Amino acid sequence: MQEAKNKTYIRKKIVVVFFLCAGLLTLLFVRLLYLMVFESVYYSGLAQRLHERERSIKAARGRILDANGAVIADNRTVCTVSVIHNQVKDKERVVEVLCSELGLSEEFVTQRVEKYSAIERIKSNVDKETGDRIREYNLDGVKVDEDYKRYYPYDSLASKVLGFTGADNQGIIGLEVIYEEYLKGMEGTILTVTDAKGVEVSEAGESRIEPVNGNDLYLSLDMNIQSYATQLAYQAMETKQADSVSILVMNPQNGELLAMVNVPEFDLNNPYELPADTSSEGLSSEKKQELLNRMWRNGCINDTYEPGSTFKIITAAAGLEEGVVTPESTFSCPGFVMVEDRKIRCHKVGGHGGQNFIQATMNSCNPAFVTVGLRLGAESYYRYFKQFGLLNKTGIDLPGEAGTIMHKLENIGMVELATISFGQSFQITPIQLLTTVSSIINGGNRVTPHFGVKVADSEGNLVSELNYPVTEGIVSEQTSETMRMMLEMVVAEGGGKNGQVEGYRIGGKTATSQTLPRGSGKYISSFLGFAPADDPQVIAVAIINNPQGTYYGGQIAAPVVRQLFENILPYLDIMDYNG
Amino acid sequence: MAGTTGRKRRKEQSEYFFDYSLLFIVLFLLGFGMIMLYSTSSYQAAQDFNDSAYWLKKQIFAVVLGLILMIITANIPYQFWRKFAVIGYIVSAVLILLIIPFGREVKGAKRWIYIGGISLQPAEVAKLGMILFLASLICTMGRSIRNMKGFMLVFALPLPIVLMVWKITQNLSSAIIILGISVLMLFVASPDYKKFIIMGLIGLAGAALVVFVIVTASSTEGMGFRSERILAWLDPEAYASGKGFQTLQGLYAIGSGGIWGKGLGQSMQKLGFLPEAQNDMIFSIICEELGLFGAIAIILMFILLIWRLMVIANNAPDLFGALLVVGVLGHIAIQVILNIGVVTNTIPNTGISLPFISYGGSSVMFLLIEIGLCLSVAKRIQLKEL
Repeated sequence: MQEAKNKTYIRKKIVVVFFLCAGLLTLLFVRLLYLMVFESVYYSGLAQRLHERERSIKAARGRILDANGAVIADNRTVCTVSVIHNQVKDKERVVEVLCSELGLSEEFVTQRVEKYSAIERIKSNVDKETGDRIREYNLDGVKVDEDYKRYYPYDSLASKVLGFTGADNQGIIGLEVIYEEYLKGMEGTILTVTDAKGVEVSEAGESRIEPVNGNDLYLSLDMNIQSYATQLAYQAMETKQADSVSILVMNPQNGELLAMVNVPEFDLNNPYELPADTSSEGLSSEKKQELLNRMWRNGCINDTYEPGSTFKIITAAAGLEEGVVTPESTFSCPGFVMVEDRKIRCHKVGGHGGQNFIQATMNSCNPAFVTVGLRLGAESYYRYFKQFGLLNKTGIDLPGEAGTIMHKLENIGMVELATISFGQSFQITPIQLLTTVSSIINGGNRVTPHFGVKVADSEGNLVSELNYPVTEGIVSEQTSETMRMMLEMVVAEGGGKNGQVEGYRIGGKTATSQTLPRGSGKYISSFLGFAPADDPQVIAVAIINNPQGTYYGGQIAAPVVRQLFENILPYLDIMDYNG
Repeated sequence: MAGTTGRKRRKEQSEYFFDYSLLFIVLFLLGFGMIMLYSTSSYQAAQDFNDSAYWLKKQIFAVVLGLILMIITANIPYQFWRKFAVIGYIVSAVLILLIIPFGREVKGAKRWIYIGGISLQPAEVAKLGMILFLASLICTMGRSIRNMKGFMLVFALPLPIVLMVWKITQNLSSAIIILGISVLMLFVASPDYKKFIIMGLIGLAGAALVVFVIVTASSTEGMGFRSERILAWLDPEAYASGKGFQTLQGLYAIGSGGIWGKGLGQSMQKLGFLPEAQNDMIFSIICEELGLFGAIAIILMFILLIWRLMVIANNAPDLFGALLVVGVLGHIAIQVILNIGVVTNTIPNTGISLPFISYGGSSVMFLLIEIGLCLSVAKRIQLKEL
């Protein structure tokens, strides 16, 4: 080879090649500049989302306390057992341990363990002891997280009022639902950085957002009264072989509910267990759910009924307020009354004869009240019905309150008006009856029945005072006073004699209504009583559904309220100052 | 460079040039590469092999072997190799053919053969073989390269090897590199510009047409996995769980780096998110850990390397030496450009490693032999002629 220098064009071309390459690399540098400066936020954001795993920290649900400060809904520490697929080393052992400790089928556990997911929940609400035992096995990939579970120290007391919570600690029925917002608190989160397999990168640390525990709810409910009322209700249900018995106890001045009993109650700590006498075998899941819903149903607010004679209180108040009747007005009862072509019978076949309005009320005389109703006329009666608040719901702080089932004004003829006057042909809830009567006897203030009194944090610092609307002046003080007097007479000398409590002035009214369809032989017996009669501080209603044998409210429901008052009036320190 | 002091001493050896700059650039890239390789692969290596230095050790072995081969090559006058040019071409072809019966399949592609316990990529041999063969061929042709016949001959002879690499080893990237090296050497050897500009335009138009056809086609079925790669290139996020996965993960890494980077060893994407990050995608981890400035530093080192090769080629004592160095220059430049292009999703994804830095024994060994050749050419430069 000659040592001659390479030709100039070759040298030039080599320089061209160099600049071509350098030029392309510069273009790539510009591309990098774009990616790493202008797109950096976008891509690093996506990358961060990819790297971070979020774990939530449960917040403790707020407690529920009764009027005396007794805790009636509390939290218990339970465990949630999960597996992290990628960290499981000894699969057979994990499946074996979890099966035996948690009592789950091998098939179920194997399926969960083999499922490729970041974290798979095996079972929640596991006892703390079981959780601790599983933790002691020290199995790779098995995670035991502590969690809170709702616990109700009084088991079934006030079950339909309190309600219970579901798997995620959210309220399912009752007060737990209505006050969810206050009780639930806020979940915290742990953000951890993990590698592609979900293993935590320890150097990266973790950021933590602390959970905020739920606030405590304070109720007007008094577990002592609730407990005693429940005993009485069970007693009445058993002796009368009734389908169910409801007892409501309220302060008529402000609407605070002291007790709400619906027997049979259910066990709040095992809310998915059907009553012992129901065989759950062979039931479809829908059928079972239907039975559970029936078991959880709160009859005092979810169901309507024909109130019967207790509703005469409303007719009387409307009549007095309108001035179509006075206590001294006289009526004559031949045992029936003709309305258009219909003959409406009085419960006393021979008739009550001549009587004034007070006596008619004491006798619970149907013809007299039909007369009052007819004097009012459909339009006025309907106006009072509305004015007393009967067309609206009471606004009680429980879910699923049923509305009033009432004729439309244009459909109220003479016959309808006559039946409405003594509490038939329409339906209201027990709580509606109690609230309306309270408003009539407390001086005319329509109160809102409620349980919730205040919300406070776990240290007892007030978070929120719960206030409820009051509509004033639905009847005059004059009418209210007359009503109290007349209803006191009912208990003192009339059909409510069995409601008398020695040493106390009691007002009240009985009712016995036949359930639809007529002639089925099924009755609802009830008694509504309040004390002291001249300044009511407590009002109670007992409703016995489908009692066997004697079914007159005055004979079977009034004694229930009497026994209740005998115990709770001294307890509530409501002294009879005339005595 | 080293020449200024050498001139005064007037010693025989000093009259010849040794390109220390090139050597240091290469040593720097190797050292940097091993640090980044360890940083990138240690987490995965510890998980898979219980040895965080698993890949590093293998790489060190290849680098040491490569450096020995480089020193040997650098001390053999490059003219010695000229007589092996045709043999090199034939050996390349035979080795590729040997893959058919003896190749070991890794991830669906047969690319390696095993000789005495050492795995070897015939494609790497073919790159070196092609540089040697073309340099020799062009020298032998002399002036006849200027006519069309000579031009076509130089253009046609590499094609069988290119096609074999593409089809038999299913390695499109290596085929593109060999073709690129050949065209570059032909470009330097031929005084013509027009032909190459036309070739470049035809190539660009062809690529644009392919992309256009794939994008407008209603269905990609039956077009094979490469067409999906084109679609994934255009919109990696739409193919995030398939062909666009690696690209997207690489972009996450690059974007996370920002201007200053997360710091050496701080990459998150290497923790299993970016599959086989130590191979073709190592540049994205460099970007994540060292940021834009680290990336610029690496690009500048490669430009410096190419510049040194240019200087050597321009001062080579003869055409054969110059063409050898141009071939090596082409090889390294094409790989760097394509690799960074793939990592930044500037071009469709195809597996190309980053010279001296990516994990891969065959690759680094043959690159070092090529550097050895260049050093040998540099040694023949007589300083007085500088």
